[in-house]
Amino acid sequence: MSAHAEPLEHGGEHEHHGPPPIHYSSRMPPAVLGMFLFIASEIMLFGSFFTVYFFDRVANGGVNGQWPPPPFERPWFIAGVNTVILVTSSFTMHWAESSLKRGNRTGFKAGMVLTLFLGFTFLITQVIEYHRIGFNTGDTAFASTFFGLTGLHGVHVFIGLMILLAMTVRGFKGHFSPEHHHGVEIGGIYWHFVDVMWIVVYVTVYLL
Amino acid sequence: MGNPLRSEEDAFKFLLWTIGYFALIVAGSLIDFWVGLAVFVILTGAVVWRIWPRSR
Repeated sequence: MSAHAEPLEHGGEHEHHGPPPIHYSSRMPPAVLGMFLFIASEIMLFGSFFTVYFFDRVANGGVNGQWPPPPFERPWFIAGVNTVILVTSSFTMHWAESSLKRGNRTGFKAGMVLTLFLGFTFLITQVIEYHRIGFNTGDTAFASTFFGLTGLHGVHVFIGLMILLAMTVRGFKGHFSPEHHHGVEIGGIYWHFVDVMWIVVYVTVYLL
Repeated sequence: MGNPLRSEEDAFKFLLWTIGYFALIVAGSLIDFWVGLAVFVILTGAVVWRIWPRSR
């Protein structure tokens, strides 16, 4: 105890307290690098779900090569409308971010509110689609993988919406400026990632 | 090719490229399964060629 306490008692020798300063070894800001690594792990998670889906599709290729196996039908039209809604939300997100960078606070706020609205619309439409689809998770492997993939994506949309909500509240409180917009940038990257994953899910599960 | 997730703007551009990539594959597969497969192979090959590091 006394051996450790000695330098403090004499004082003045150690000016710096707390952990050492952060060493930025990456060309990327740490927060963006963190989001990048998080998204990389998310891609692996989605990859595992897609592996199950493709395995089921190859192993149980439906009746007479039909996919999905009868009597299942995929609601491709309503999901297509939902795709347009989600892609539009990426445009409004980009509008919000670029408005903020230009110092247009009204554009930023409008963009964030619109993105939130469109995101919630997507999620509600998906819930309605689940109610009317006519099969459940326990009905064959196709149904399980369908709900697994679309549900996993739905959870990501929900998380994205919570991030967007926090960003919007902070935006309305004036926490962001053209010089300080990292919080919006990182949330925007995540939202676009969610959209990219939906494009892959929609094409794979609903169309092909 | 840079990291497509470096900034919000890059991520948005990546989304647009993704839409274009899958739209062409779907359009090809609507014509015929083999056309869709060919479009997929050609586009994926083009993407790999584009991002493959050549300065060694």
